[in-house]
Amino acid sequence: MILITGPLFAGKTDFARTLWPDPETFPDKVCIDAQNLAQNCRDLSALAERLSRQYSIITVTEVGGGVVPTDPVQRAARENAGRLSCMLASRADTVVRVFCGLPLVLKGELPE
Amino acid sequence: MLTFVVGGAGSGKSAYAEKLLAACPAPRYYLATMQIWDEECRRRVERHKAMRAGRGFHTLECPLNLVGLDLPATGSVLLEDLTNLVANERYAPDGAGPGTLEAVWAGLEKLYGQSTHLIVVGNELFCGGADYSKETVEYLRLLAKLHRRLAARADHVCEVVSGCPWYYKGKEPFYGPV
Repeated sequence: MILITGPLFAGKTDFARTLWPDPETFPDKVCIDAQNLAQNCRDLSALAERLSRQYSIITVTEVGGGVVPTDPVQRAARENAGRLSCMLASRADTVVRVFCGLPLVLKGELPE
Repeated sequence: MLTFVVGGAGSGKSAYAEKLLAACPAPRYYLATMQIWDEECRRRVERHKAMRAGRGFHTLECPLNLVGLDLPATGSVLLEDLTNLVANERYAPDGAGPGTLEAVWAGLEKLYGQSTHLIVVGNELFCGGADYSKETVEYLRLLAKLHRRLAARADHVCEVVSGCPWYYKGKEPFYGPV
C-alpha cells in the first residue's frame, strides 16, 4: 500500500491518479482523505488494518497544525486523524508527502 | 530563474528569501504587497524594512494590480508575499474579485518576463484542517491552486522550517559570488 500525505489542497488526489490512472477501478483501489474515517472511530488500529488490506493507495490530509481547537469533538478528530496516519504509514510500503503538487518520498520507493 | 519559498508564520522564510535576493545580480527589487490597515501592519512593515536596510534593495509597493507594474529596469525581484497579494485582489473593493486567480497569474507572468531572477514568498496555511468559514476555505483553495501552478513552473521550490530550507524541487540556487 502507498500512503500519500500532505497539506490541504496540495494535489494529493491528482498524484494518486498518476499512480492509479484507471478511473473505473480508482474508487475501489484508492481511498481519499482517510482521516475523515477516523473521526468517530473507536478502534483505529482495526480501521488501519482494514484500509491497508482493502486499498492500494490511501491519501490523508495533514490537519494537526495550527492551534489546538477548543471544541472537544474537533480536538479528538484531529488527534485521531494524526494517529490513523501514523498507523497507515507504518503499514505502508511507501509513504509520499505531496507539497504544492511536488512529491517527496518519506519511506520506501515509488513504483517505476 | 524562478524560486518559490514557502513557510509558516515566523519560519524564517522572509530572511531566507532576502538572503537569496542579496546573492542575485543587481538591480534588486523588493516588491512589498502588504496593505497597511492598522498599527500591527505598520510595525510588521517597519521590522521588515529594518531587516532590509543597507542591502541595496529598491522597495516597490504593489498591494494590487501586479499586471500593471513596470520595473524601472530588468533585474532580480523578491515578491513578498503571494498570500497578501491574493487576499488584496480577492477582497479589496478595487481588487480583481472572482477573477483573482487569472489576474495574479498574469501579474506573475509579466513580472517574471521583466526579471532575470524572481523569488516568490508564500505562506504555509494548509496544515490546520478545514474547519473554517466557507469564504476562508474558498480563499485557501484559490491560494493552493496558485501554489501548485507556481511550484510546477518554478526551477526551485523549498519549504523553510526554523530558518532551514528544504528543497522539494531543484536546489539552493547559486547565483554567483555574494
